[in-house]
This record gives sequence, C-alpha cells and structure tokens, in this order.
Amino acid sequence: MTTDLATPEPLLRIRNIRRRFMLGETTIDALNSVSLDIHAGEFLAVWGPSGSGKSTLMNIIGLIDSPTEGEVSFDGQDTHLLADDDLTDFRGQKIGFVFQNFNLVPVLSALENVMLPLQIQGEADHAARKRAAAALVDVGLERFINSLPDKLSGGQRQRVAIARALAVNPKLVIADEPTANLDSENSRMVVDLMREMNRARKVTFVFTTHDPRLLDHVDRKILLRDGNIVSDEVMA
Amino acid sequence: MKNLFKLALRGLMRNRRRSMVTLLAIAFGFAAIVLFAGYTHNVYDGLARQSIHGELLGHLTLSKRGMRKEGKLDPERYMLTASEVSAITKTLKDEPHVVLVAPRLGLSGLISNGRASTIFIAEGIEPAAVVLLREGSLTEREKKSGMFESMKMRLDPNHPEVASLSSGLVEMLHLSVGGQAVVLANTLTGQANALDITLGQGFNTGNANSNDKFAFVSLDLARTLLDAEGRADRLTILLDDVNQTGAMRDALLAKLNKAGFDVEIQTWQELSDFYTQVHGMFDMIFGFIFSIVLTVVVMSVANSMGMTVIERTREIGTLRAIGLKRGGVVRLFTTESMLLTLIGCVTGLLIALGVRWGINLANISYTPPNSPSPVPLLVDMDIGRTLFTFALMGAVGTLAAYLPARRAAQKDIIDALGHV
Repeated sequence: MTTDLATPEPLLRIRNIRRRFMLGETTIDALNSVSLDIHAGEFLAVWGPSGSGKSTLMNIIGLIDSPTEGEVSFDGQDTHLLADDDLTDFRGQKIGFVFQNFNLVPVLSALENVMLPLQIQGEADHAARKRAAAALVDVGLERFINSLPDKLSGGQRQRVAIARALAVNPKLVIADEPTANLDSENSRMVVDLMREMNRARKVTFVFTTHDPRLLDHVDRKILLRDGNIVSDEVMA
Repeated sequence: MKNLFKLALRGLMRNRRRSMVTLLAIAFGFAAIVLFAGYTHNVYDGLARQSIHGELLGHLTLSKRGMRKEGKLDPERYMLTASEVSAITKTLKDEPHVVLVAPRLGLSGLISNGRASTIFIAEGIEPAAVVLLREGSLTEREKKSGMFESMKMRLDPNHPEVASLSSGLVEMLHLSVGGQAVVLANTLTGQANALDITLGQGFNTGNANSNDKFAFVSLDLARTLLDAEGRADRLTILLDDVNQTGAMRDALLAKLNKAGFDVEIQTWQELSDFYTQVHGMFDMIFGFIFSIVLTVVVMSVANSMGMTVIERTREIGTLRAIGLKRGGVVRLFTTESMLLTLIGCVTGLLIALGVRWGINLANISYTPPNSPSPVPLLVDMDIGRTLFTFALMGAVGTLAAYLPARRAAQKDIIDALGHV
C-alpha cells in the first residue's frame, strides 16, 4: 500500500462540487455536493452503476470539465483561477489520461503516440523519443514501438495509452473505464500494469470501473450513486 | 513545428480518396490559371514586340507639345524644325539605354497606278532606322513558324524612291515588286505635290483595317513630298530594355524640358490602343477565371477540412486533454490545409508544364480578331503571376480551414471526447 494519508496537503481537493447539465429543458444533476481528497500515490477506484456520475467526477478530477458549483484544488492550485491556456498547460504537465477507447492517433506509431504529449509540452524530438521509448519498455511493448495502433490488440493499445499517460511523469493518471473494451484477461493485465506503475513511479491513479473483480487491487474505492458518494473505503 | 507538419501530412493520408479529390481540384485549377497566364503573357509579349518593333513605334515617341491633339490641323506649327531635330537628337543619343533616335514624318494622300487611285497613309523613316527597330522583333520560335514574313520589310537606303506598301494596297492597285506608282500629297504650305515611287517589298500590317492603305517610305521621300527639308513630326526613341520605358521617359523629358525644349514624350503603351485594349480585356478574363478557380479551391478545401474536423472531433478532444491548446488545434488543421493546397499547387504546376510543353510542340495556330493572318498558339511561363497565384492559393487554402478548425478548438473537451 503506497497511500500516504499522513500528507497534510492532498494532491487533489474537491469541495462541495455540483455538476449540472441541461438536456433540452431538463436539468440533470450529475454530481451533488461531492467533497473528496485524493492523496499522492493512491491507487483509487471510483465505481458505481451507469449514470451514477463516475465519468463526470473523473472529468472534473482530470480538469477537462468544470463544476457548476464548488471548488477544485490540484497540487495546491485553485484551478478555477487558471485561464484556459494555463489550465491546458497545467493539465498537460500534471495529469495523464487513459481512455476507454484508447484514443490513440491512428496514423502515428506507438512510439509517436507516446511522444505526442511530450512534444506538445515542447520537449525536443530526440529527448521525447528517448523518454517515449523508455515508457513503452516499461509497459512491455518494446517490440511494437513502430507499430500503428490498428496492428495492435486491444490490450496492447491500452498499454500504449498508459505509456502515453505516464510519459510526461504526471502526478495523477485518470483512467475512465480503461478495461471496458477489453476481455477479462486483458482487463486484469491492464489493472495490474497500472498498479505496477503506481508502485514503481509513485504516480497516483484514479480509475473507474463497473467490474467489481478489479476492485480487489485498489487502495481505496469510492462508490457513487445518483451523483453522491455512498461509500469511501480505504482497503487494508 | 516539425511534428506539426508530420502530423498534418499523416492526417492527409487518412482519407486518401477525399484528399486526392481536393488535391486534384486545386491542381487543375492552378494549372488552368498558370496556362492562361502563360498564354496571355505570350500575347502581351507578342503585342508589345508588334507595337515596338513591328509597327516601328519604338519605346518612346517625342513630339512638340500639342502635336498629337492639334498637329493634324496645323502641322507646320507643331512639326519639329530641322534645328530642333538635330539638337534633340544630339542631346539624347548619348543617354544610357538609348539605342536609336529616329526622325519620323507621317503623311497621307492619294496613290495611283495610272488607272486607279486610292488613299494611302504612310510613315517616312530612315531605312537604317527600320533595320534597328526591327531587330529582336521575332523570337526564334516565331521565325521558324514562317508566319511573320511581313516583319522582314526593309527600305532600301540607296534608293529613296522605293516604297514598301501593305499587301492589301498592293493587291488593290495590282502592283508588283519593281512596279511604278505615283503618290500625291499636300506640302506643309498646302500645295499639291506628286512623286513617282517604285514598289519595294510588301508587308502585312497585322491589322485588317490598315492593311489596304498603309505604306512605309524613306524619310527623304516623305520630306520631299511634304516639302519639309530636315523636319520631322516626331522622333522615335529605341531603348535597349523595354523595362526602362517609364523611367527613361521621365528622365529624358526632364532633361529636354531643362534644356528648353517644349516637347512631350509618350510610351509605346500609350500610343498602342490595340495593345492597351487587348491587355485590359485579357486582364479582365484572367480576373474572372482566377475568381472562379479560387472559389472552387476555397469551397473544396473548406468542405474537405470541415469533414476532416468532424471526423476527428474525438481526436481533438484527446489532444486537448493531453495538453494541446486551442491555438494548437487551429494550427494543426490549418497546417494540414496549407500542405494540401501547396501540394495541389505543385501538382498543378507540373500539369501546366506538361500541357505547355505539348501545346508549344504542336504548332497550333489561330487567327486573332482583326488579324489578316494566323499566329502561333504559344504558352509562356508567367513567373510573376504563377508565384502570386501560388502564394494567394496557399493563403486562401489555409484560411479555408480556419473556421472549421476554430469551431472544433472551441468545443468543450468532454463533448469532443464523447463525439461519435
């Protein structure tokens, strides 16, 4: 267990956030007054039934969406004070993303996909290539660095996505349903890999899942229902 | 930047068919413009040479101020005197770029073969000046085409009584080379004066309206006929570089005005109405074609990029999530659009070069309006207009992607990621 709950300042602090969507003339409250602290190094799962607000919470944690009400502070920074470009830079440097559908750029090789966030951050081509290659080695894909995504299996693609998320050495990796499109064996492999990266690199992982079997590996699991946190368990 | 280009180039390869269709639309549009610009360039160049060398206008024409407007009614008053001709020629002959200063004398009257008479308009010019003015009048390709025999017209320096008549006039009077005719004109003082002439080599004026009445005679014969010894109604100035025409006009005029000569100088463009009208007409057609092609290119690129942006909305969301700013998204798609347009233009240039080569090799000829003889259809490379088209198409093609790219960049990341 790598969670350091003694750290006084959490990596992410969410206070009383609400997220309201308008669907035509209907108002939908996806999150209702949610408060949450996530500490550095945690390996945390958010779970719950469909429509419980998991993805909405992940989007807000990942700073790609803003709450209708409430405060979000990441690494000591009150994020609503940041202008769009500054927030984009902030997110690019501190948060990695793993998506349900992998979201790799199909015309780029595995290596080039992993280089992408580094190059966006302005890293030189040579250095980006070196770091991306190392990240792919870490996820066990050294033989596939020049393969295009459509030549890789689902599990391999998700591993490329994990390498891409980790390439910038983020403080937090957000994975929204990373195993939803994988079979059980690949699902287990992906969660094991994330766990391994969490332990080896001390990177905080937050992921959502609807598969209770994957919850055995986490440090902490948060159950969401109807936009509310129903339970928040720290695992032994 | 390098990565941006790589990503943009790879982006073009995703939907190859669509990229190819757009690229071909750009390429054929660009080729059409380059070819038409090349054709008009050839026409302008031919008309310029026809005016300067064929019609013996030279680059500049100097006359006493008011000669063009009032001179026909009062030639005596507006004609340059012998001393003025001599002094101005002496002043100008050592000026840079000036190759020739030739006195000219225009006249009109009646010409008769003894059985019938008709009106004629003639230019009196020194035979040596004709030789100098005609130099460089034809390109090698035009010489080989055999379509410009009339440009070989010369006057005999040893026989001032030999005149060169336009082919229509020769035909009308049933004359042949070496035959005799009589010309009758009024002297400057209004007396009738007739002289015998011998028919020299005929020529074609290149204009159906003047080909049955025009003649070239030696300056000596013209002066004798008008009783205007040593005088000239204008001086034709030939330069060594057509591009110096405007600058030299200003320089020479300033110098002559300073020396006390009350003269005016006109360029060959100002004197050649036909050149100006044809230039204006072709410029208008070029503008029309250019506008249509540009519209087609903009529509094609905007449509292609609009579809591309929609198809890649989720990718845009991903790139935004991992740190690409809104401006980066716009740059990515405008770069893609710029590459597509530039590759299309380069392809179009290659097509145009191939078609131009074929046309120039095919020896195609046509008879332009008002022309008594055919001319070869030739296509030049108009570097200036080609570069202008290249730059403008590149800019417009790039801008065509701006709006769809900006719209995509403004989209919320979560909406973009959820796009299906």
